[in-house]
Amino acid sequence: MSSTTLTNSPLFSWLLGYEAKRKQLLNKAPAGALRDFLSVPMPSMATPIDKVAILAVDFETTGLNAKQDKLLSVGFITLKQQQISLKSSYHQIIKSTAQLEESNVIIHHITDSQKEQGQALATVVAALLKALAGKVMLVHFARIEKQFLTEACHHLYGMAPIFPMIDTLALAKRRLDKRDVAYDPSELRLANLRHKMQLPEHHGHNALNDAIATAELFMAQMSKANKDGKIILKDVLL
Amino acid sequence: MDTELSEISTFIHSIPPFDSLPRQVLAHLVRELTINYVRKDDYLPPKGINEPRLYILRKGAISCRSADGELVSRLGEGDLCDAFYHTETNAPSNSQTATTSQLQVHTDEDCLIYSVEATVLQDIGERFPSISDYFSQNSAQRLKNKMTQVNEEAILSSTLMNTAVSNFYQSPVASINADQTIQQAAMQMNEEGYSCLVVVEDDNPVGIVTDKDIRRRCVATGLVTSAAISEIMTRDMCTIDAKSNAYDALMMMTAKHIHHLPVTKNDELVGMVTVTDLINNEGHNAINLSSIIHKANTLTELKEISQLLPKLQIRLAKLGSSADHVGKSISAITMAFTKRLIELAEYKYGQAPVPYAWLAAGSQARQEQLAHSDQDNAIIICNSMKPYDDAWFESLATFVCDGLAECGFIYCPGDIMATNPKWRQPQKIWQNYFTDWVETPSPKALLNSCVFFDLETIYGDATLLNTVRKQLLSKTQNSTLFIAHLSKNALNLRPPLGFFRDFVLKQNGKHRATLDLKHNGIAPIVDLARIYALSEGISAVNTIERIQQAAGTPSITRESAENLIDAYEFLGMLRVEHQAKELMRGESADNYLSPKEISKLEREHLKDAFKVIKSLQDARQSSY
Repeated sequence: MSSTTLTNSPLFSWLLGYEAKRKQLLNKAPAGALRDFLSVPMPSMATPIDKVAILAVDFETTGLNAKQDKLLSVGFITLKQQQISLKSSYHQIIKSTAQLEESNVIIHHITDSQKEQGQALATVVAALLKALAGKVMLVHFARIEKQFLTEACHHLYGMAPIFPMIDTLALAKRRLDKRDVAYDPSELRLANLRHKMQLPEHHGHNALNDAIATAELFMAQMSKANKDGKIILKDVLL
Repeated sequence: MDTELSEISTFIHSIPPFDSLPRQVLAHLVRELTINYVRKDDYLPPKGINEPRLYILRKGAISCRSADGELVSRLGEGDLCDAFYHTETNAPSNSQTATTSQLQVHTDEDCLIYSVEATVLQDIGERFPSISDYFSQNSAQRLKNKMTQVNEEAILSSTLMNTAVSNFYQSPVASINADQTIQQAAMQMNEEGYSCLVVVEDDNPVGIVTDKDIRRRCVATGLVTSAAISEIMTRDMCTIDAKSNAYDALMMMTAKHIHHLPVTKNDELVGMVTVTDLINNEGHNAINLSSIIHKANTLTELKEISQLLPKLQIRLAKLGSSADHVGKSISAITMAFTKRLIELAEYKYGQAPVPYAWLAAGSQARQEQLAHSDQDNAIIICNSMKPYDDAWFESLATFVCDGLAECGFIYCPGDIMATNPKWRQPQKIWQNYFTDWVETPSPKALLNSCVFFDLETIYGDATLLNTVRKQLLSKTQNSTLFIAHLSKNALNLRPPLGFFRDFVLKQNGKHRATLDLKHNGIAPIVDLARIYALSEGISAVNTIERIQQAAGTPSITRESAENLIDAYEFLGMLRVEHQAKELMRGESADNYLSPKEISKLEREHLKDAFKVIKSLQDARQSSY
């Protein structure tokens, strides 16, 4: 296990605290996007969840392995004051030299020629870090975004930052586990959870659409769970 | 390919008025949206939003209530909520602002709601008036725009109904002096190539004579050709004003089964229009059908012809004819059937013992009939009739009503037919009926008799009914109690509020799967028009004519009259289209429109029509 994965592990973060770890990393970070990101304080763990600034993020990748597979596109949108503003939405395809496998073209509707028109990984990650500063990252199934962003930062800056995350899948799983009734893991898919919450159908596999879909799902989850307004950031953090 | 925000764009694009926006503007609008999640049993606007916004329901349901708790509307997916859109600067031109800003908007389910700031839409509206118009106009204005557009389309698709008779008539009119002989008339026809001459006496037209009259009334009867032309001319000459539209001329000729119609300008004879002139312009089935009907000699033949009626209605609907014109065409054909059946009856049972008139009641009298509606008819007989004369009229009534039923005009369920002795009476009894209804009105009696306030002579001596009508109108104008009872009955039929999802939303908040176009839309307007006519002494029975003539009287303002006609024409158009679809599928035509059948925009227009009706019903209610 590398040291990077250790510093990003929930146990480590919990022991040390996000803010302490952020300050520690800030001292080591090279000037530029990563340092700018780390220089903005994280929201306090005791902040009521309604008041936390959130960035819903989704990555489309060529596979599940961050070491081998490539980041294809990034989408994100801000959720602030319990409101999503489409003005804050961002979607970018990443330019890379890797040939796309046919199966990925089908899933993500991104063709090689479109990928050629994309932007460099450095530009896209810098844009993401800038938007994420001072916010909590919201994703559905944290592993992908966590590992690919960590890997990209290593590649670009030689080190990875720390970023607090909320995972709508984990929140749903927590509820289902509590019921002590067997359930099918497919119930945890974004589309299925949305369906259960009576949210409109959405077409997955576009990074921005999925980021918006995740943000809407989170609003619905909080609407159910946070009727008395007592949930704080710490309660929902991964 | 741009999949970015494409789902949201597609959704917004499906909602009028945003469907009219070009792609780039739509993309701009979408980026200005915010998304909120509001849980069930909460209120709009979402907490923290104070600026005016338009809300677009993406998922869930909300209900809007007025300050006094009355349900105003329920909204579902894809519906717009403008309750918090209007500011003082962008308020609609009437006083709706006051009411909308007081609306309580409650979430009936968990809701996912999109919204956009009013200022953004106002900016877009400056470049795209369809957007600003949509939000700044009231129901009546929106409906008027819609009907103007429909009428413009009709002008493009059909010329006859929008062209004045003055474009068709031949001038000058061939005329002949009343004291000239039949032979001279025939010679003049030969020389000048006319089949029809107007007969004049001291330069005043007194009648009309056609080559057919020479055959039927002279040669066939053995009359000498040296007899005066006035012997065989038709004296009660129908004429039409040059300003009337050509379609109405065609309908008049169809109904009366004539082929020549003198045209007048300021009551002076200026020309003659013939069926051929009009048909050459637009191949028209109604007149053909009417002439085949006239030639039919047996009930079996008539029955066969009657099967063409649904086809005619489909054809008219396809031509883009307005409901008014479809109604007039079908009513003219029904009239032709009835007249032919009466002629066949007179042939079978001999001439009537005393003068009489066959009357149509209800929708046929109003010229608002659609294919195969039920029959409503009556007979008015000259007061000189003897009790034993009734046997002849009973035979006539039975023959005609049975014949009409054979031809698909079902018997009146309420037994309002000439076969019912009650509705086969001499003039004085009819006078008594009306006196009773008007002078000692009871709501129940009026409910059953209101069909008789829409009466028209189909065949026979028109003066019999006209005399009764004149007396009736002089009474109704001054009878407050009668008008009050009539109004009370009319107000029982209320239009629904609008739609919720794919259901019709009634005033009491309940849902219905279909909209009864007749009882919840058209009939309330017909009822209002009848009340206006009877209050103001207007003898017209056609709904649009009644409203037009009542416009500007104490009963209804000119503006409201125009709005009501727009609503009536829009509802009629939907009915004609709905029935045409059913008839084309080989089903029988009904009045039950499923909201799924119509577009979102049409639902909005319907809602506007309902509002117009409701406001005039409310005005009626408060005046009694």
